[in-house]
Amino acid sequence: MGAGSMAQELYVYTEPASNMAAKGIGFRLSNSLMQQVSNKGNYNFHSIPEVMIGISKKSMLHAEFFLSNRNTKLVAEGGALYYKYRFLSVDEVHSHFRMAAYTRLSYNNSDVHQPAIDVNGHNSGVETGLIATQLINKVALSASVAHMYAADNGKGNKFIYANNNRNAVGYTLSVGKLMLPKNYISYNQPNVNVMVEMLGQTNWETGSSFLDLAPSVQLILMSRMRIDAGYRFPLVNNLKRTADRGFLLRFEYNIFNAF
Amino acid sequence: MKKLLFIIVLFLAINSQAQITKVSLQASGLTCSMCSNAINKSLKTLDNVEKVMSNISTSTFEISFKDGAAVNFDELKKKVEDAGFFVSKLTADVSFNNVKAQKDDHLQYAGMNLHFLNSTDQVLNGSRQIQILDKGYVSSKVYKKNQGLTKMECYKTGVTSACCASSGMVAGSRMYHVSPL
Repeated sequence: MGAGSMAQELYVYTEPASNMAAKGIGFRLSNSLMQQVSNKGNYNFHSIPEVMIGISKKSMLHAEFFLSNRNTKLVAEGGALYYKYRFLSVDEVHSHFRMAAYTRLSYNNSDVHQPAIDVNGHNSGVETGLIATQLINKVALSASVAHMYAADNGKGNKFIYANNNRNAVGYTLSVGKLMLPKNYISYNQPNVNVMVEMLGQTNWETGSSFLDLAPSVQLILMSRMRIDAGYRFPLVNNLKRTADRGFLLRFEYNIFNAF
Repeated sequence: MKKLLFIIVLFLAINSQAQITKVSLQASGLTCSMCSNAINKSLKTLDNVEKVMSNISTSTFEISFKDGAAVNFDELKKKVEDAGFFVSKLTADVSFNNVKAQKDDHLQYAGMNLHFLNSTDQVLNGSRQIQILDKGYVSSKVYKKNQGLTKMECYKTGVTSACCASSGMVAGSRMYHVSPL
Protein backbone atom coordinates (compact mmCIF):
# COMPACT_ATOMS: atom_id res chain seq x y z
CA MET A 1 0.00 0.00 0.00
CA GLY A 2 1.04 3.50 -0.64
CA ALA A 3 2.04 6.37 1.51
CA GLY A 4 -1.37 7.87 2.02
CA SER A 5 -2.55 5.44 4.60
CA MET A 6 -1.59 4.69 8.18
CA ALA A 7 1.35 2.44 8.80
CA GLN A 8 -0.74 0.08 10.93
CA GLU A 9 -3.01 -0.53 7.99
CA LEU A 10 -0.31 -0.99 5.37
CA TYR A 11 -1.11 -4.67 5.57
CA VAL A 12 1.31 -7.20 4.23
CA TYR A 13 -1.14 -9.71 2.71
CA THR A 14 -4.12 -7.45 1.99
CA GLU A 15 -4.88 -3.88 0.97
CA PRO A 16 -6.59 -1.35 3.27
CA ALA A 17 -9.52 0.84 2.22
CA SER A 18 -7.24 3.90 2.29
CA ASN A 19 -5.35 4.98 -0.79
CA MET A 20 -1.88 6.25 -1.41
CA ALA A 21 -1.49 10.02 -1.80
CA ALA A 22 -2.62 11.59 -5.05
CA LYS A 23 0.25 12.11 -7.49
CA GLY A 24 2.44 9.63 -5.65
CA ILE A 25 4.27 6.75 -7.29
CA GLY A 26 5.33 3.64 -5.44
CA PHE A 27 7.55 0.75 -6.48
CA ARG A 28 7.12 -2.63 -4.90
CA LEU A 29 8.80 -6.00 -5.19
CA SER A 30 6.98 -8.89 -3.50
CA ASN A 31 8.80 -12.19 -3.29
CA SER A 32 7.20 -15.34 -1.95
CA LEU A 33 8.72 -18.69 -1.29
CA MET A 34 6.01 -21.34 -0.97
CA GLN A 35 6.62 -24.92 0.11
CA GLN A 36 5.19 -27.59 -2.20
CA VAL A 37 2.68 -29.95 -0.65
CA SER A 38 3.80 -32.96 -2.73
CA ASN A 39 7.53 -32.46 -2.21
CA LYS A 40 8.30 -30.59 0.98
CA GLY A 41 11.91 -30.03 0.02
CA ASN A 42 10.76 -27.98 -2.96
CA TYR A 43 9.85 -24.31 -2.81
CA ASN A 44 8.13 -22.30 -5.50
CA PHE A 45 9.48 -18.80 -5.93
CA HIS A 46 7.07 -16.10 -7.11
CA SER A 47 8.19 -12.55 -7.65
CA ILE A 48 5.82 -9.66 -8.37
CA PRO A 49 7.34 -6.31 -9.35
CA GLU A 50 4.67 -3.64 -9.13
CA VAL A 51 4.22 0.06 -9.90
CA MET A 52 1.57 1.95 -7.92
CA ILE A 53 0.11 5.30 -8.94
CA GLY A 54 -2.07 7.66 -6.87
CA ILE A 55 -4.41 8.94 -9.57
CA SER A 56 -6.46 11.13 -7.25
CA LYS A 57 -7.20 11.34 -3.56
CA LYS A 58 -9.84 8.64 -4.03
CA SER A 59 -8.41 6.31 -6.63
CA MET A 60 -5.23 4.42 -7.31
CA LEU A 61 -3.90 1.98 -9.89
CA HIS A 62 -1.31 -0.79 -9.64
CA ALA A 63 0.39 -2.52 -12.56
CA GLU A 64 1.84 -5.89 -11.57
CA PHE A 65 4.08 -8.36 -13.35
CA PHE A 66 4.22 -12.05 -12.49
CA LEU A 67 7.47 -13.98 -12.46
CA SER A 68 7.82 -17.53 -11.15
CA ASN A 69 10.11 -20.55 -11.21
CA ARG A 70 7.35 -23.11 -10.61
CA ASN A 71 8.31 -24.89 -13.82
CA THR A 72 12.09 -25.12 -13.40
CA LYS A 73 13.44 -21.63 -14.22
CA LEU A 74 12.28 -18.09 -13.50
CA VAL A 75 9.98 -16.91 -16.30
CA ALA A 76 7.49 -14.10 -16.87
CA GLU A 77 4.00 -15.46 -16.56
CA GLY A 78 1.83 -12.39 -17.06
CA GLY A 79 0.55 -9.35 -15.26
CA ALA A 80 -2.41 -7.59 -13.73
CA LEU A 81 -4.02 -4.22 -13.29
CA TYR A 82 -5.44 -3.41 -9.87
CA TYR A 83 -7.76 -0.43 -9.33
CA LYS A 84 -9.11 0.77 -6.01
CA TYR A 85 -11.67 3.51 -5.31
CA ARG A 86 -12.32 4.88 -1.82
CA PHE A 87 -16.00 5.80 -1.58
CA LEU A 88 -16.42 6.44 2.14
CA SER A 89 -14.27 8.27 4.64
CA VAL A 90 -15.26 9.26 8.17
CA ASP A 91 -12.23 10.84 9.80
CA GLU A 92 -11.57 12.14 13.29
CA VAL A 93 -8.24 13.45 14.56
CA HIS A 94 -6.67 10.09 15.39
CA SER A 95 -9.14 7.67 13.89
CA HIS A 96 -11.00 6.92 10.71
CA PHE A 97 -13.39 4.52 9.08
CA ARG A 98 -13.02 4.02 5.36
CA MET A 99 -14.51 1.84 2.68
CA ALA A 100 -13.28 1.08 -0.81
CA ALA A 101 -14.13 -1.06 -3.81
CA TYR A 102 -11.46 -2.70 -5.94
CA THR A 103 -10.98 -4.85 -8.96
CA ARG A 104 -8.02 -6.83 -10.30
CA LEU A 105 -7.90 -7.92 -13.92
CA SER A 106 -5.20 -10.40 -14.57
CA TYR A 107 -3.50 -12.44 -17.27
CA ASN A 108 -1.38 -15.49 -16.57
CA ASN A 109 0.10 -18.00 -19.01
CA SER A 110 1.22 -20.69 -16.54
CA ASP A 111 -0.39 -24.12 -16.30
CA VAL A 112 -3.43 -24.31 -14.03
CA HIS A 113 -2.43 -26.69 -11.25
CA GLN A 114 -4.87 -26.14 -8.36
CA PRO A 115 -8.60 -25.63 -7.82
CA ALA A 116 -7.96 -22.71 -5.42
CA ILE A 117 -8.21 -19.47 -7.41
CA ASP A 118 -5.47 -16.83 -7.23
CA VAL A 119 -5.64 -14.05 -9.80
CA ASN A 120 -2.58 -12.51 -8.20
CA GLY A 121 0.00 -14.80 -9.75
CA HIS A 122 -1.69 -18.09 -10.72
CA ASN A 123 -4.88 -17.58 -12.73
CA SER A 124 -6.06 -15.31 -15.48
CA GLY A 125 -9.29 -13.80 -14.26
CA VAL A 126 -11.06 -11.06 -12.35
CA GLU A 127 -11.38 -10.31 -8.66
CA THR A 128 -13.80 -7.65 -7.41
CA GLY A 129 -14.24 -6.78 -3.78
CA LEU A 130 -15.12 -4.43 -0.96
CA ILE A 131 -12.83 -3.35 1.88
CA ALA A 132 -13.68 -1.70 5.21
CA THR A 133 -10.92 -0.36 7.45
CA GLN A 134 -11.13 1.14 10.93
CA LEU A 135 -8.17 2.92 12.48
CA ILE A 136 -8.11 3.92 16.15
CA ASN A 137 -4.89 5.41 17.45
CA LYS A 138 -2.25 2.71 17.05
CA VAL A 139 -4.47 -0.18 15.95
CA ALA A 140 -6.03 -0.74 12.54
CA LEU A 141 -8.65 -3.36 11.71
CA SER A 142 -9.65 -4.27 8.20
CA ALA A 143 -11.97 -6.74 6.53
CA SER A 144 -12.65 -7.54 2.91
CA VAL A 145 -14.86 -9.75 0.82
CA ALA A 146 -14.36 -10.48 -2.86
CA HIS A 147 -15.68 -12.43 -5.78
CA MET A 148 -13.06 -14.28 -7.81
CA TYR A 149 -13.46 -15.62 -11.30
CA ALA A 150 -10.86 -17.82 -12.97
CA ALA A 151 -10.70 -17.64 -16.77
CA ASP A 152 -8.57 -19.97 -18.88
CA ASN A 153 -4.89 -19.13 -18.65
CA GLY A 154 -2.88 -18.04 -21.69
CA LYS A 155 -0.78 -20.25 -23.98
CA GLY A 156 -3.63 -22.76 -24.20
CA ASN A 157 -3.51 -23.55 -20.49
CA LYS A 158 -7.17 -24.19 -19.74
CA PHE A 159 -8.84 -24.06 -16.35
CA ILE A 160 -8.81 -27.83 -15.93
CA TYR A 161 -11.51 -28.12 -13.27
CA ALA A 162 -15.26 -28.16 -13.88
CA ASN A 163 -16.55 -24.97 -15.45
CA ASN A 164 -18.81 -24.25 -12.51
CA ASN A 165 -15.76 -24.30 -10.20
CA ARG A 166 -14.45 -21.06 -11.71
CA ASN A 167 -16.06 -18.83 -9.04
CA ALA A 168 -14.98 -18.36 -5.45
CA VAL A 169 -15.52 -16.00 -2.54
CA GLY A 170 -12.44 -14.58 -0.88
CA TYR A 171 -12.50 -13.01 2.57
CA THR A 172 -9.85 -11.47 4.81
CA LEU A 173 -9.55 -10.06 8.30
CA SER A 174 -6.47 -8.06 9.26
CA VAL A 175 -5.18 -6.44 12.45
CA GLY A 176 -2.15 -4.17 12.56
CA LYS A 177 -0.51 -2.43 15.47
CA LEU A 178 2.12 0.28 15.53
CA MET A 179 4.82 -0.90 17.96
CA LEU A 180 7.53 1.71 17.43
CA PRO A 181 8.21 4.54 17.83
CA LYS A 182 6.43 5.22 21.11
CA ASN A 183 6.63 8.94 20.44
CA TYR A 184 7.09 10.62 17.10
CA ILE A 185 9.85 13.16 16.82
CA SER A 186 10.85 13.11 13.17
CA TYR A 187 10.13 11.60 9.77
CA ASN A 188 13.42 9.73 9.97
CA GLN A 189 12.43 7.51 12.87
CA PRO A 190 11.88 3.91 11.82
CA ASN A 191 8.32 2.62 12.35
CA VAL A 192 7.72 -0.99 13.30
CA ASN A 193 4.32 -2.59 12.79
CA VAL A 194 3.10 -6.05 13.66
CA MET A 195 0.20 -7.61 11.76
CA VAL A 196 -1.89 -10.73 11.96
CA GLU A 197 -4.12 -11.57 9.03
CA MET A 198 -6.61 -14.29 8.15
CA LEU A 199 -6.98 -15.11 4.47
CA GLY A 200 -9.77 -17.37 3.32
CA GLN A 201 -11.47 -18.62 0.20
CA THR A 202 -14.53 -20.77 -0.46
CA ASN A 203 -15.32 -22.22 -3.85
CA TRP A 204 -18.79 -21.13 -4.92
CA GLU A 205 -19.74 -24.52 -6.33
CA THR A 206 -17.93 -27.16 -4.28
CA GLY A 207 -18.03 -25.37 -0.93
CA SER A 208 -14.39 -26.35 -0.30
CA SER A 209 -12.38 -23.78 1.64
CA PHE A 210 -9.01 -22.79 2.89
CA LEU A 211 -8.30 -20.38 5.71
CA ASP A 212 -4.73 -19.21 6.33
CA LEU A 213 -3.18 -17.40 9.23
CA ALA A 214 -0.49 -14.91 8.25
CA PRO A 215 1.58 -13.08 10.89
CA SER A 216 4.04 -10.45 9.68
CA VAL A 217 6.33 -7.62 10.71
CA GLN A 218 6.94 -4.39 8.87
CA LEU A 219 9.67 -1.81 9.00
CA ILE A 220 9.13 1.69 7.60
CA LEU A 221 12.21 3.80 6.99
CA MET A 222 12.52 7.54 6.31
CA SER A 223 8.70 7.68 6.13
CA ARG A 224 8.90 6.42 2.55
CA MET A 225 10.50 2.96 2.42
CA ARG A 226 8.90 -0.22 3.53
CA ILE A 227 10.16 -3.76 4.23
CA ASP A 228 7.63 -6.53 4.98
CA ALA A 229 8.30 -10.06 6.15
CA GLY A 230 5.55 -12.59 6.70
CA TYR A 231 4.69 -16.27 6.86
CA ARG A 232 1.35 -17.81 5.94
CA PHE A 233 0.05 -21.29 6.75
CA PRO A 234 -3.32 -23.03 6.58
CA LEU A 235 -5.70 -23.55 9.51
CA VAL A 236 -8.43 -24.99 7.30
CA ASN A 237 -7.27 -26.70 4.13
CA ASN A 238 -10.03 -28.39 2.10
CA LEU A 239 -9.57 -26.37 -1.06
CA LYS A 240 -6.45 -27.80 -2.61
CA ARG A 241 -3.31 -25.80 -3.33
CA THR A 242 -0.03 -27.21 -4.61
CA ALA A 243 2.03 -24.98 -2.28
CA ASP A 244 0.09 -23.86 0.77
CA ARG A 245 2.59 -22.33 3.18
CA GLY A 246 5.61 -20.11 2.99
CA PHE A 247 7.38 -16.80 3.36
CA LEU A 248 6.82 -13.37 1.88
CA LEU A 249 9.49 -10.69 1.66
CA ARG A 250 8.60 -7.33 0.16
CA PHE A 251 10.38 -4.06 -0.55
CA GLU A 252 8.59 -0.84 -1.32
CA TYR A 253 9.68 2.70 -2.10
CA ASN A 254 7.36 5.69 -2.39
CA ILE A 255 7.88 8.98 -4.18
CA PHE A 256 5.51 11.78 -3.15
CA ASN A 257 4.22 14.32 -5.70
CA ALA A 258 5.91 12.51 -8.54
CA PHE A 259 3.84 14.11 -11.29
CA MET B 1 3.70 58.75 -14.04
CA LYS B 2 1.85 55.68 -15.25
CA LYS B 3 4.78 53.57 -14.16
CA LEU B 4 4.76 55.12 -10.72
CA LEU B 5 1.02 54.49 -10.36
CA PHE B 6 1.57 50.89 -11.39
CA ILE B 7 4.26 50.48 -8.76
CA ILE B 8 2.03 52.00 -6.09
CA VAL B 9 -0.87 49.75 -7.05
CA LEU B 10 1.44 46.73 -7.09
CA PHE B 11 2.81 47.67 -3.68
CA LEU B 12 -0.70 48.00 -2.26
CA ALA B 13 -1.70 44.67 -3.73
CA ILE B 14 1.32 42.91 -2.28
CA ASN B 15 0.81 44.64 1.03
CA SER B 16 -2.78 43.47 1.36
CA GLN B 17 -1.81 39.91 0.58
CA ALA B 18 0.99 39.93 3.08
CA GLN B 19 -1.47 40.24 5.94
CA ILE B 20 -1.56 36.52 6.56
CA THR B 21 1.74 35.59 8.10
CA LYS B 22 1.24 32.02 9.23
CA VAL B 23 -1.27 29.19 8.99
CA SER B 24 -1.54 26.32 11.39
CA LEU B 25 -3.59 23.31 10.40
CA GLN B 26 -4.45 20.02 11.99
CA ALA B 27 -5.20 17.03 9.79
CA SER B 28 -7.50 14.21 10.77
CA GLY B 29 -7.48 10.50 10.14
CA LEU B 30 -3.81 9.72 10.60
CA THR B 31 -1.47 8.41 13.26
CA CYS B 32 1.73 7.46 11.44
CA SER B 33 4.76 9.24 10.11
CA MET B 34 4.41 8.04 6.49
CA CYS B 35 0.96 9.64 6.23
CA SER B 36 2.10 12.80 7.96
CA ASN B 37 4.99 12.97 5.51
CA ALA B 38 2.55 12.63 2.59
CA ILE B 39 0.76 15.79 3.82
CA ASN B 40 4.05 17.57 4.52
CA LYS B 41 5.29 16.89 0.99
CA SER B 42 1.95 17.76 -0.54
CA LEU B 43 1.84 21.19 1.19
CA LYS B 44 5.39 21.93 0.08
CA THR B 45 4.40 21.68 -3.58
CA LEU B 46 2.55 25.02 -3.30
CA ASP B 47 4.61 27.87 -4.74
CA ASN B 48 3.72 30.32 -2.00
CA VAL B 49 4.76 28.04 0.86
CA GLU B 50 8.14 28.80 2.34
CA LYS B 51 8.32 26.32 5.18
CA VAL B 52 6.25 23.58 6.77
CA MET B 53 6.96 22.57 10.35
CA SER B 54 5.14 19.40 11.25
CA ASN B 55 4.37 17.74 14.52
CA ILE B 56 3.70 14.08 13.74
CA SER B 57 2.14 13.13 17.06
CA THR B 58 -0.45 15.95 17.05
CA SER B 59 -0.91 15.89 13.23
CA THR B 60 -0.36 19.65 13.08
CA PHE B 61 1.46 21.62 10.39
CA GLU B 62 2.72 25.18 10.83
CA ILE B 63 2.96 26.78 7.41
CA SER B 64 4.85 29.99 6.69
CA PHE B 65 4.65 31.78 3.37
CA LYS B 66 7.01 33.58 1.04
CA ASP B 67 7.14 37.37 1.32
CA GLY B 68 4.19 39.02 -0.35
CA ALA B 69 2.59 35.74 -1.39
CA ALA B 70 -1.19 35.48 -1.47
CA VAL B 71 -2.59 32.76 0.77
CA ASN B 72 -5.49 30.62 -0.34
CA PHE B 73 -7.01 28.43 2.38
CA ASP B 74 -8.86 26.25 -0.13
CA GLU B 75 -5.55 25.42 -1.82
CA LEU B 76 -4.08 24.27 1.49
CA LYS B 77 -7.15 22.16 2.23
CA LYS B 78 -6.99 20.55 -1.19
CA LYS B 79 -3.35 19.56 -0.63
CA VAL B 80 -4.25 17.79 2.62
CA GLU B 81 -7.12 15.98 0.91
CA ASP B 82 -4.89 14.99 -2.01
CA ALA B 83 -2.65 13.23 0.47
CA GLY B 84 -5.68 11.20 1.57
CA PHE B 85 -6.69 13.08 4.72
CA PHE B 86 -8.90 15.90 5.94
CA VAL B 87 -8.48 19.23 7.72
CA SER B 88 -9.95 19.20 11.21
CA LYS B 89 -8.74 22.68 12.23
CA LEU B 90 -7.17 25.62 10.45
CA THR B 91 -6.12 28.90 12.03
CA ALA B 92 -4.39 31.84 10.38
CA ASP B 93 -2.33 34.64 11.93
CA VAL B 94 -3.65 37.81 10.32
CA SER B 95 -2.36 41.31 10.96
CA PHE B 96 -5.33 43.62 11.28
CA ASN B 97 -5.36 47.38 11.18
CA ASN B 98 -8.42 48.88 12.86
CA VAL B 99 -10.87 46.41 11.42
CA LYS B 100 -14.37 46.49 12.82
CA ALA B 101 -15.66 42.94 13.12
CA GLN B 102 -19.33 42.56 13.88
CA LYS B 103 -21.11 39.38 14.81
CA ASP B 104 -22.69 37.60 11.86
CA ASP B 105 -21.53 40.29 9.47
CA HIS B 106 -19.37 40.40 6.37
CA LEU B 107 -16.19 42.23 5.68
CA GLN B 108 -13.54 42.40 2.97
CA TYR B 109 -9.98 42.22 4.19
CA ALA B 110 -6.63 41.15 2.78
CA GLY B 111 -8.28 40.31 -0.52
CA MET B 112 -10.71 37.92 1.18
CA ASN B 113 -14.37 37.96 2.03
CA LEU B 114 -14.75 37.21 5.72
CA HIS B 115 -17.91 36.43 7.63
CA PHE B 116 -17.43 36.81 11.39
CA LEU B 117 -19.54 34.00 12.63
CA ASN B 118 -18.78 33.53 16.27
CA SER B 119 -17.50 36.79 17.65
CA THR B 120 -18.54 39.72 19.77
CA ASP B 121 -18.50 43.11 18.06
CA GLN B 122 -14.93 44.30 18.30
CA VAL B 123 -12.16 46.24 16.61
CA LEU B 124 -9.32 44.00 15.49
CA ASN B 125 -5.83 45.44 15.70
CA GLY B 126 -2.41 43.94 15.29
CA SER B 127 -1.75 40.26 14.83
CA ARG B 128 -4.77 38.10 15.60
CA GLN B 129 -5.50 34.47 15.08
CA ILE B 130 -8.68 33.57 13.24
CA GLN B 131 -10.13 30.12 12.79
CA ILE B 132 -11.84 29.08 9.56
CA LEU B 133 -15.22 27.50 10.31
CA ASP B 134 -16.32 26.48 6.83
CA LYS B 135 -17.30 22.98 5.83
CA GLY B 136 -14.18 20.83 5.53
CA TYR B 137 -12.20 23.06 7.93
CA VAL B 138 -13.73 21.74 11.15
CA SER B 139 -15.14 18.34 12.10
CA SER B 140 -18.63 17.71 10.76
CA LYS B 141 -19.93 17.87 14.35
CA VAL B 142 -18.60 21.39 14.86
CA TYR B 143 -19.85 22.47 11.44
CA LYS B 144 -23.36 21.34 12.30
CA LYS B 145 -23.25 22.95 15.73
CA ASN B 146 -22.25 26.32 14.22
CA GLN B 147 -25.26 26.30 11.91
CA GLY B 148 -27.17 27.90 14.79
CA LEU B 149 -24.93 30.98 14.60
CA THR B 150 -26.23 32.32 11.29
CA LYS B 151 -29.25 32.10 9.06
CA MET B 152 -27.33 33.26 6.02
CA GLU B 153 -27.11 31.11 2.93
CA CYS B 154 -23.38 31.70 2.43
CA TYR B 155 -22.56 29.47 5.40
CA LYS B 156 -23.94 26.48 3.54
CA THR B 157 -22.47 27.27 0.13
CA GLY B 158 -19.20 28.98 1.03
CA VAL B 159 -19.82 31.59 -1.65
CA THR B 160 -21.35 35.05 -1.50
CA SER B 161 -25.01 35.27 -2.42
CA ALA B 162 -27.98 37.59 -1.87
CA CYS B 163 -27.26 37.66 1.87
CA CYS B 164 -23.94 39.34 1.24
CA ALA B 165 -25.19 42.05 -1.14
CA SER B 166 -25.63 44.63 1.63
CA SER B 167 -21.88 44.38 2.30
CA GLY B 168 -21.22 45.33 -1.33
CA MET B 169 -19.91 41.91 -2.30
CA VAL B 170 -20.35 40.45 -5.74
CA ALA B 171 -22.38 37.25 -5.66
CA GLY B 172 -20.56 34.02 -6.37
CA SER B 173 -17.16 34.74 -4.85
CA ARG B 174 -15.55 32.75 -2.05
CA MET B 175 -16.65 33.61 1.48
CA TYR B 176 -14.71 32.32 4.48
CA HIS B 177 -16.58 32.00 7.75
CA VAL B 178 -14.27 32.82 10.62
CA SER B 179 -14.00 33.36 14.31
CA PRO B 180 -11.27 35.42 16.01
CA LEU B 181 -9.55 33.39 18.74
